Amino acid sequence: MAVSETPPVVAPAPSVRTVDTGTNFRHPLYQVLLETPGLTVGTAALDDLMTWGLTNAMWIFPMATSCCGIEFMATAASRVDIDRMGVIVRATPRQADVMVVAGTITTKMAPRVLKLWEQMPEPKWCIAMGSCAISGDFYRNLYSVVPGVDTFLPVDVYVPGCPPNPEALMHGMMRLQEKVRRQRKGENVVPEVKPELLKITQPSVPRLTDPSRPSEQSHQQELSSDDPTTTEETAALVVPAGEAPTLAPLVAADFEGLLGELGVATLPTDGPPIIPLAQHLELARRLKAIGYKQLVTIAASHWPAGKGRKGADAAEVEHYEIAFAVRTIGQGSRVASWAVKALPTEPVLTLSGIYAGADWQEREQFDLVGVKFAGHPDLRRIMLAENADAHPLRREFPADAHAAPWR
Amino acid sequence: MNEFLQGGLYGGGIIVAIMTSLLFVLWTERKMAARMQSRIGPNIIDPLGFLQAPADVLKLLQKEDIVPEKADRALFNYAPVLGAAVAIAVAAVVPFSATIVGADLDVGVLYLLAAGAVGVLPVFAAGWGSNNKFALLGAMRAIAQSVSYEVPLVLAALVPVILTGSMKVSEIVTFQQNHHWLIVWPFFLGVPAFVLFMLAMLAESNRIPFDIPEAESELVAGITTEYTGMKFGLFYMAEYLHTVIASAVAASLFLGGYDGPFAPGVWWMVAKTFGMVVAIYYLRWSLMRFRSDQLMALCWRWLVPTGVVLVVASALFVVFAG
Repeated sequence: MAVSETPPVVAPAPSVRTVDTGTNFRHPLYQVLLETPGLTVGTAALDDLMTWGLTNAMWIFPMATSCCGIEFMATAASRVDIDRMGVIVRATPRQADVMVVAGTITTKMAPRVLKLWEQMPEPKWCIAMGSCAISGDFYRNLYSVVPGVDTFLPVDVYVPGCPPNPEALMHGMMRLQEKVRRQRKGENVVPEVKPELLKITQPSVPRLTDPSRPSEQSHQQELSSDDPTTTEETAALVVPAGEAPTLAPLVAADFEGLLGELGVATLPTDGPPIIPLAQHLELARRLKAIGYKQLVTIAASHWPAGKGRKGADAAEVEHYEIAFAVRTIGQGSRVASWAVKALPTEPVLTLSGIYAGADWQEREQFDLVGVKFAGHPDLRRIMLAENADAHPLRREFPADAHAAPWR
Repeated sequence: MNEFLQGGLYGGGIIVAIMTSLLFVLWTERKMAARMQSRIGPNIIDPLGFLQAPADVLKLLQKEDIVPEKADRALFNYAPVLGAAVAIAVAAVVPFSATIVGADLDVGVLYLLAAGAVGVLPVFAAGWGSNNKFALLGAMRAIAQSVSYEVPLVLAALVPVILTGSMKVSEIVTFQQNHHWLIVWPFFLGVPAFVLFMLAMLAESNRIPFDIPEAESELVAGITTEYTGMKFGLFYMAEYLHTVIASAVAASLFLGGYDGPFAPGVWWMVAKTFGMVVAIYYLRWSLMRFRSDQLMALCWRWLVPTGVVLVVASALFVVFAG
């Protein structure tokens, strides 16, 4: 990946972890009893009793991050009521036996999940609930998602589904009980088979805007035909072919005046006016002064050099286009938006001195696109994991994000 | 028989009895909570779920015992034991019948208030010893709450003391046997004092609706955040002990203790205590949690002035009408 101008943030190589699966733990008291002579029958009975206690009071630590968490809550609610099997949900890992990973785990979350897992006392088990926890599902090629928690946790039971319904989770708990029973008897327990993954490919259904879509075609023909039954309303919807509609630039009068003062005479009709980089900060300052007090958004996009790029001007050089939008507060709110173009070498001055909300917005654009805002007080990553070393929304970032090396 | 041996045997008997009753109390709460949330509660382990509490204990006994590396080992390990011991110490002065009473102290009411107040120390030890910010915050809240509610608790307990003219719990019960239960006459003092006592006792035991010390949405699990296995179990047990014994104390001070027709006194005591426990659980599962400032406002703005008024009124009642 050629991301030469971005400095590596924090990238310590992740060390190889050995994960204790929890099968080797024996309580010291239990060991003493085992070694007392003549207690074979007694210990066997005691062992059964202990296993009975262990399997009937499995307290859950809910690692619920997304929609599976809702189904998890439903499992604890009145319809299924997992408390029937003696399951209590404890908020602290120290008092839990089973970690239920319910939801997508991102690369940023994964170290935290592992930390919580390590804080749980032995014996402990893990249930991967739902497609995302099992395999990452359709997020699994995304640069920010862990493709399955079994990459860093010893998963005992997989509960497939998207999301699995409460009964499925309860069945997963019962399978876990069965597994523990057999494990404690010393039987050889075959690890649960990971559910087969669907091969998710690009769906062959034509898009709505696709003119080759049959229903769309017939609909358009119907609208443009000279059918005498066409009512006035439907006729008004028909755009006459060949005539491009003329659109007036939608710019508030005060914003237009301000642009005129800054020397931007012609306003584009297809997007925000593009401001010279030197006037960017001045414009923001004056906009705030005339009442545009709230920053709505900052959105940056990255454009590689046009040479060799399909449908692009060959003279175009690599640059960023960054759009800003601010608005007035109150009734009849007016929005002003503008954009700047900047070469990777040109510093874009930060707005965080003028709009406090620009701080995190700019951090986000830095994180995903790699725009380095000059003068920003704290330009760190805000969304991706700390050890990420690329900006995934740049054009050169590969779409197949198995290349994302920090995963 | 040796006096000490007798005392030891007797105390052991009481403790075993209360511990056994805890299993039933635990079952009651779990089933009641389930019913109030239109669930069923434990019913797979056995049809009625009676074996759930033993299974929980067996499981807790098997869990790994984790002491955080930077924790204060002594405080961390002794806090749960102390908590359970202090909770059960209050039971010593409660007369379960005319003959079953551990130590019929002349200052019985003072003793049970003092023993209850010591209950703050294990909480503080657990919070400080865990070396965990959530535990410490939980302990801080618990102490603020307990110390504040100590005041209305003492004021409410003073009402029966003034009305009966004795601090001996057995004499308070005997007085109610000979006259009226304090909740019946004078009801305008007995009922408010009883309500005040129960509210303060609920707050002292740190459970819903006064459970801000272990508000799981803010503080993970409060003081028990770092506790695993049976150490957590002891804290849990102490809470239930607290509920049961507070109910027994309230029954003795206001509901006539072991007084009642037809059946032997001890059965009346058990029935009243259990009735109080059920009432507490009913409150616990139908109310929501107070905010910290609401809790303090309730105590200092309403309960303490009410308590003072009640104490003065009982003194006047004894002088002019008693």
